[in-house]
Amino acid sequence: MMNGSLRWLRRTALRVVPVVTGVVLATFFLLRLVPGGPAAAALGDQATNEAVAALEAQMGLDQPLMTQLWSYVSGIVTRGDVGTSLLYGTPTSELIAGRVGVTLSVVALAVLLTLVLVVPLAFAAALHKDGVVDHLIRVVPAIGLAMPTFWIGLLLIMVFAVNLGWLPAGGSGDGVRSLILPAVAIAISMTPVLVRTLRAQLLEVLDADFVATLTAAGLARGRVLVHVLRNAALPTLTLFGLNIAYMIGGTLVIERVFALNGLGALMFESISNRDFPVVQGVALFCAVAVVAVTVATDFLVDRLDPRSRLS
Amino acid sequence: MLLSRSALLPIWHPRGPALLCAAPTEGSTDVTLTSACTSTKTIRRTGVAVLTAGVFVLSGCTSSSTPEREGTAADTTATTAAPTPGGTLTFARTQSPTSLDLHTEITANNAFAIDKIFEPLLSFNAQGEIEPWLASEYSPSEDGLVWTFTLRPGVRFSTGDLVTPEDVVYSLNRHIEVGGPLPLDAPITSIEASGTDTVVITLSEPYTPFIAELAGFSNGILPADLGGVDEATFFKNPVGTGPFVVDEWTEGGDISFTKNVNYWQDGKPYLDELVYKLVQDDNQLVAQLQSRQVDVIDSVASANVATLEGNSSLTVSTTPSWVVEEIFFNTLDEHFADRDVRRAVSYALDREGIVAATSFGTAEVAGSVLPPSVPGYDATIDSLSYDLAGAKASIAASAYPDGFSTKLLVASGNTLRAQEAQIVQAQLAEIGITVEIESIDLAAFRERFRAFDYSFMINSATSDVADPNGIVSFQADPEGGTNGYWTHYNNPEVTALIAQGRTLPDGAERTAVYSEIQATIAGDAPFIPLSYPSNIKASQATVQGLTVLPNGSVRLQDTWLTK
Repeated sequence: MMNGSLRWLRRTALRVVPVVTGVVLATFFLLRLVPGGPAAAALGDQATNEAVAALEAQMGLDQPLMTQLWSYVSGIVTRGDVGTSLLYGTPTSELIAGRVGVTLSVVALAVLLTLVLVVPLAFAAALHKDGVVDHLIRVVPAIGLAMPTFWIGLLLIMVFAVNLGWLPAGGSGDGVRSLILPAVAIAISMTPVLVRTLRAQLLEVLDADFVATLTAAGLARGRVLVHVLRNAALPTLTLFGLNIAYMIGGTLVIERVFALNGLGALMFESISNRDFPVVQGVALFCAVAVVAVTVATDFLVDRLDPRSRLS
Repeated sequence: MLLSRSALLPIWHPRGPALLCAAPTEGSTDVTLTSACTSTKTIRRTGVAVLTAGVFVLSGCTSSSTPEREGTAADTTATTAAPTPGGTLTFARTQSPTSLDLHTEITANNAFAIDKIFEPLLSFNAQGEIEPWLASEYSPSEDGLVWTFTLRPGVRFSTGDLVTPEDVVYSLNRHIEVGGPLPLDAPITSIEASGTDTVVITLSEPYTPFIAELAGFSNGILPADLGGVDEATFFKNPVGTGPFVVDEWTEGGDISFTKNVNYWQDGKPYLDELVYKLVQDDNQLVAQLQSRQVDVIDSVASANVATLEGNSSLTVSTTPSWVVEEIFFNTLDEHFADRDVRRAVSYALDREGIVAATSFGTAEVAGSVLPPSVPGYDATIDSLSYDLAGAKASIAASAYPDGFSTKLLVASGNTLRAQEAQIVQAQLAEIGITVEIESIDLAAFRERFRAFDYSFMINSATSDVADPNGIVSFQADPEGGTNGYWTHYNNPEVTALIAQGRTLPDGAERTAVYSEIQATIAGDAPFIPLSYPSNIKASQATVQGLTVLPNGSVRLQDTWLTK
């Protein structure tokens, strides 16, 4: 057991350290390679070049690159400080803290909705293989896959906010109600692939010898299906984990469509304004979150599948 | 995989580079537009635009039947119903404020929050006419050098303290010291407090735009020594004389205000609370307005105007702005250094067609670098408008009679600019100029033109004052700070006229100078004005008395809500 935990820790560290280092360096240099700076954005087109240069100096952007990198990296390492927004003058960590709740709530709700949709649909399809239900379940959700997420979002807004007036069109001022449409939009685009994966796995497992054995032993159908799910869920779970990880950094589109003031919106705004420390901070946060989700997924897969612990 | 990055593109439209500035104006007598209702007549109309104009805003204009209504957006006091006090107004804006320091900021996201908190000695109304504000009276000496301002009695800061001449001296001096993006350019030699209600400002030479500059939001009055606190603290919880006081401010998010109970205008503001809600997407603005989540939206894409007008529970307002949409040439470019080439481009562009195709009737065809809403605008100059024969003659007379290939730089994410660029591309092909459109991210776009690393581009210019000096100085005066708004235009004749215009007193002689400036610039064609866009706002029909100023700001002390 001790051995297992150690191995797990080592494997985790091997993932976290290179990813985080890579993200820190890549965002730092890429941002500075891209033309355009924060001072010109803040001062407008009518500002003189002198005024822009003066503001850049005040922001510390006239320092040599290596000096800037050193102060950034040493800030992270020694104080856990990812810098201060050039635009707002507030610490990046505060800006992230103010936004992360919205993003994580949407992701969590979307994950929940997706699970609620995927498991019954995949079972229904697998148990009625090649029947009408199976075909419907394979075809109808694919429509969601074929439409871009932003388009699904716009349709949902038109129908449920503007025409029916049931839910808010956007913003996060309305608690859970304002998160429903964005979460549904994400769930609609996530469901099709997951349903198909899980269905295929279920079919495979349903054919397995142990299912026949369990059924022959007289185990109740429900109990058998639990075993089937546990065996079939692994690839889907891994895929699901990847999707969640992607969502944390990728809710930008959905946040934009629904005017949610989350991490994606912060990232978008900071890139447009070249607010370097904030972009770096958000990228770092997302990198850590993505690694955390993948590690958690692996952990869960491990727990569900004792075989992977033996290897 | 879901949320593919390419899915971004269709909804990625930050406002164009034209977020710019706010600012003041000068009171000039020859304002051509006398009221918002009538002024909309100058706007290219489709039948739809007529309706809008009528409905708009005006408390007086409650129905949409006729465009020629009395009452103006400016004078909302002349209303049919008495304003009802109370309520919260939710105002959706596409950018959140980053700083409330009036001396260091210029962009609209900050300016139009700042001008709710701080007020200058003078102000301007919806027609751009200067009016007394914190100063109830002002007068120049005979020679125009010594200006005496009398403070309005009983004006208090939101803390309840009376405004003193010392506060004014401190505020203006801080502005001069900081400089900032909207500096007080007037040649001021001294600012002195005198007695309990007088401030005397002395200039070293006559400077006619002085009053217009002073009416800008960046000359707002704050308490001397910031009331004894440090800058960071003060500008988080600023104290001014304006109608609203900051309540809660989430950086990068919403900002809310409560009414200033000490406001000097009796009974105003009518609203108890004002919320600037951050909504960054055009489609969201419209959706949230339609679903009644917000009361007012700060901007409406011209393509969305017709949809909103079709909804009887909404009001759309289209008013003149100080913005000019233009093509800018880099006059250092090998091809566009040639005046004949620039003139050929001007003749080759069908501006009527461009405006008709892109603005949905919300913009007016442009000829002069000055917008019609700024005094001194001359509609009679020869603006080298569409004339294909003239274009061919000009290109034949140039150093490139057989045409050439060049690149048109535009900021990406701006649908309007993309459409304009495509039309320009097609029309210039007629005279043998092959145009490649280069569409790049806004920040990169700015870096390119600041370095003169472009051939020609589409951008907009915004006047900060209702005085012609502002816009011609930064667009055509080599000393104006931006090298002719990044064109490197330098015509000594124009430069001399601009200097003359600053010192001449308002009147026929000064107007003639600006006419000559506009005509000469149009002839040299360092920029080709394409259109004069409107300020377009939309609100719930329950919102009354929204006074839209030509800089795009809204006077919200006059606003109230009907039940």
